[in-house]
Amino acid sequence: MAELRTVPGGPAAAPVVVPGGDRDGRFASRMIIAGASILSVVALAAVFAPLLSQWGETEIDAANTLVAPGGSHLLGTDGNGMDIWSRVLYAARLDLGIALAAVALAVVVGTLLGLVAGYFGGWLDDVLMRVVDIFQSFPTFILALAVAALLGNGTINLIVTIAAVNAPAYARLVRAEVRSLRELPFVDAAITSGASPAGVLWRHLLPNSLTPVRVIAPLNCGWAMLTLAGLSFLGLGVSIPEAEWGAMISLGAADVVGGRWWTSVPPGLALFVCVLGFSLLGEGLQDRANAKRR
Amino acid sequence: MTVLSIENLSVTIRRPGRQVAALSGVSFAVRPGEVVGLVGESGGGKSMVARAVVGLLPGGSHATGRVRLGDSDVLRMDDAALAAHRGRGVAICFQNPRGALSPTRTIGKQLVDRLATHQDMSGDRAREAARELFETVGIRSAQRRLDAYAHELSGGMAQRVMISLATGCAPELLIADEPTTGLDVTLTREILRQFRHAADTDGRGVLLISHDLASIAEVCDRVVVLYAGTVVESGPAAQVLREPAHPYTRALLRSVPDVGGRPVVATPGAMPLLTQEPDNCPFVARCAHADRTCSTRRPPTAPVPGGGEWSLACFHPQTRPLDAGTPPPPAAEEKGAETGANPKPAVLEVEDAHVVYRSRFGSGGHHALRGVTLRLAPGETLGVVGESGCGKSTLAKLVMGLVAPTSGTVTVAGRALVGQPGRPRPRGRALRRARTRAQLVFQDPIGSLSPRRTVGDSIAEPLRAAGLSPAQREERVTAVLDRMELDRSILKRYPHELSGGQAQRVGIARALVGEPDLIVFDEPTSALDVTVQAQILDVIADVAADADRASVFISHDLATVRGFADRVVVLYLGRVVEEGPVDVVFDTPRHPYTRALLGSAPRLGPTTGSDGEAVELVKDLEEADAATGCPLAARCPFATGRCRTEQQELQSYGESRAACWRVPELPALIGRQAVTP
Repeated sequence: MAELRTVPGGPAAAPVVVPGGDRDGRFASRMIIAGASILSVVALAAVFAPLLSQWGETEIDAANTLVAPGGSHLLGTDGNGMDIWSRVLYAARLDLGIALAAVALAVVVGTLLGLVAGYFGGWLDDVLMRVVDIFQSFPTFILALAVAALLGNGTINLIVTIAAVNAPAYARLVRAEVRSLRELPFVDAAITSGASPAGVLWRHLLPNSLTPVRVIAPLNCGWAMLTLAGLSFLGLGVSIPEAEWGAMISLGAADVVGGRWWTSVPPGLALFVCVLGFSLLGEGLQDRANAKRR
Repeated sequence: MTVLSIENLSVTIRRPGRQVAALSGVSFAVRPGEVVGLVGESGGGKSMVARAVVGLLPGGSHATGRVRLGDSDVLRMDDAALAAHRGRGVAICFQNPRGALSPTRTIGKQLVDRLATHQDMSGDRAREAARELFETVGIRSAQRRLDAYAHELSGGMAQRVMISLATGCAPELLIADEPTTGLDVTLTREILRQFRHAADTDGRGVLLISHDLASIAEVCDRVVVLYAGTVVESGPAAQVLREPAHPYTRALLRSVPDVGGRPVVATPGAMPLLTQEPDNCPFVARCAHADRTCSTRRPPTAPVPGGGEWSLACFHPQTRPLDAGTPPPPAAEEKGAETGANPKPAVLEVEDAHVVYRSRFGSGGHHALRGVTLRLAPGETLGVVGESGCGKSTLAKLVMGLVAPTSGTVTVAGRALVGQPGRPRPRGRALRRARTRAQLVFQDPIGSLSPRRTVGDSIAEPLRAAGLSPAQREERVTAVLDRMELDRSILKRYPHELSGGQAQRVGIARALVGEPDLIVFDEPTSALDVTVQAQILDVIADVAADADRASVFISHDLATVRGFADRVVVLYLGRVVEEGPVDVVFDTPRHPYTRALLGSAPRLGPTTGSDGEAVELVKDLEEADAATGCPLAARCPFATGRCRTEQQELQSYGESRAACWRVPELPALIGRQAVTP
């Protein structure tokens, strides 16, 4: 195509082609498909774990501790004689479940706070945003450690911990969105049509302010999963014998030093693949949103 | 000898899933010292021509034909040749000048940069040249302005800077893409003159792109009319304007209201979006003269017999002159007499309203309205006109209760929207009910519809607030859809799927559905294309004629107001400077500001006589200060010491009222001004 442009005074009938028109959103779509496929496979593996493995989640094969991959234990066993393959599968239930629930809770709470703060402004906005400031002034993982230590172990507590750390970001995001949307004519139109503040918020501002949330949430799921694994690794999350990737990595860490890589590497890989899936999905959605805006 | 010669240029944009034939066989030329106007509605291909000339065709474009600038073909230049070509060969002024200027460098630096790049100037010489360029485009205190940043400039000033940036590289061809959109009438004229000046003094070719034929006609030598990517008519400006032969050009001209009161004739339909080069006349679906030939063959471009350079692509050229300058129908007077005879309770009463927007920092504030008093009876239509910044939109928000007056009162249908002495401020449900008695039609038709709600939802919103059942809502919504001539299927669509005209019909439907006592139209047509504007004005005229309702029509464009308002109010810097029956104010303006506005409004046809009486304001709006005395004192050529110190109140002069004490002396003063300019 570059050659065509440089021909001085070439035939007028030959079309001059400007490259670059055929790329909008195609790469983004591929990323979305790749991310969604990875996550679907993980989710299916989690749901059908009992069918994919002959061993139970916490079943102990006392005769075979720390056996290498192969034979009846596809990925070997850990120091307690529990099957690594089946535990990696079962762990997906907990990891995916907690990450999704935590992000969902963070989105709901953060969005509500952001909507209210952004729409009403004034002292309410000031108070809410200062609280958000306090949360955001700590490094997030340190804050998660502190909250987890405060609340103690347990699935619900972990969900609350991770949600509490993430909600402020959503509150800020939605607040900023609402503040700019509030200046647009359709909000004035709703008000002059007699809509109540709740009506304006619920029917007009909420659906329109969720666009950035939809993009951030998948990325955030990956991050939530890493936080969960990190907390478990440090013993503040899910505890043995329940299967969780971070806890499994932690448990196997000592064995890896002894050359028994299969205790830690498979859960680590599972975690990596999952986070990659969420990242691809999130990035793809973001690119597509940007492409649309152009 | 030509500066620019476009030969049979076709551009098709191919992208996955869609293809657009943006230009189909466009040919025209620009000679040195000539101003050529490129006109048509959006989607016609005007900007695509400009992009082709500067070598900025969008990605995915397939272009054939030639764009000759001097000896070379712009389409086939390499990047180095293009870089030299942009600037020295051709320079462009954009529609949004403030956006096109870099916000972090002073405008002087930006101009000096250009001079250094394209003219090999440096240091003091470049700065001196920059100052001279600023002076040529009419920037006062140019030395000081060199150190200003883009955000410190008003729209008019920024456009002047853009022109100096463009001319500073001494291009052979100057392109201006809608240079005056968003500028006030008084400025538009001034800016357009700068382009004429560039052609006359430096012999540059100028390509002036605009959607509005009437406003650029005055400065153009020739005009080229584009429709759906094809040239439908081109020729000397005077001929094309006075007796256009192509039905589209005629439709375009007839769609524009004229201050003389010529009635607007709407053309149904909208411009088609072509996917490939047309093999018939693209205007065929909207044309009253179309026959079978038009729909089977594409009319060739042929010269009009005896028309010189005038050429046309039409099988049925129209020869009758366009009836410009017909006196307005006398219907308005009867209506006025009727309302005067039996006074009804007012629908809208605004009493000495002031609105001050407090600045967030410090103690200052912006005084948007300064003591406005209005009264409107049912069935009456009030036109509110003025330039940007005069307080028009604040007035609309005030009436709608979206802004509270700092002092004064607003009553709609007998109910106060905001607190009054001795009465509690209405709140909650009561306030919302009171609000629905007045409805607003917005300037931005698509932006005023909630992006993620269906059209049906949006129209039913006022009914939901009134507590109607879904069945009742549906009944009322379908009734109002019929009145707006919209199809039922539109109810399920989303705003981004609508055209501007459809969206504005939806906006009017939403305003009407709750049967309010008052509808405020805030610049309802300024965001629309010319022929769509005419269609919407028809709808609004019909709505405004309802006897049991009052309407307020706000516009920067005097001509649109003349069409159907009974009375008109002229606002300037938050004050009413003149008010009266619409024909009286238009035919015998009293206030110098009204005279200036009317004088700078574009007119079709011969502009004899009236120009002599026009008042020329001496400065741009942003340089005026209205703290004391008459708000116009800083810009009025007749201002005296008394004007600068004494507050001017509205006084009756005949049937209208004006806030100027020199009104009786003005005719004599204007006569003198015309003799010694």
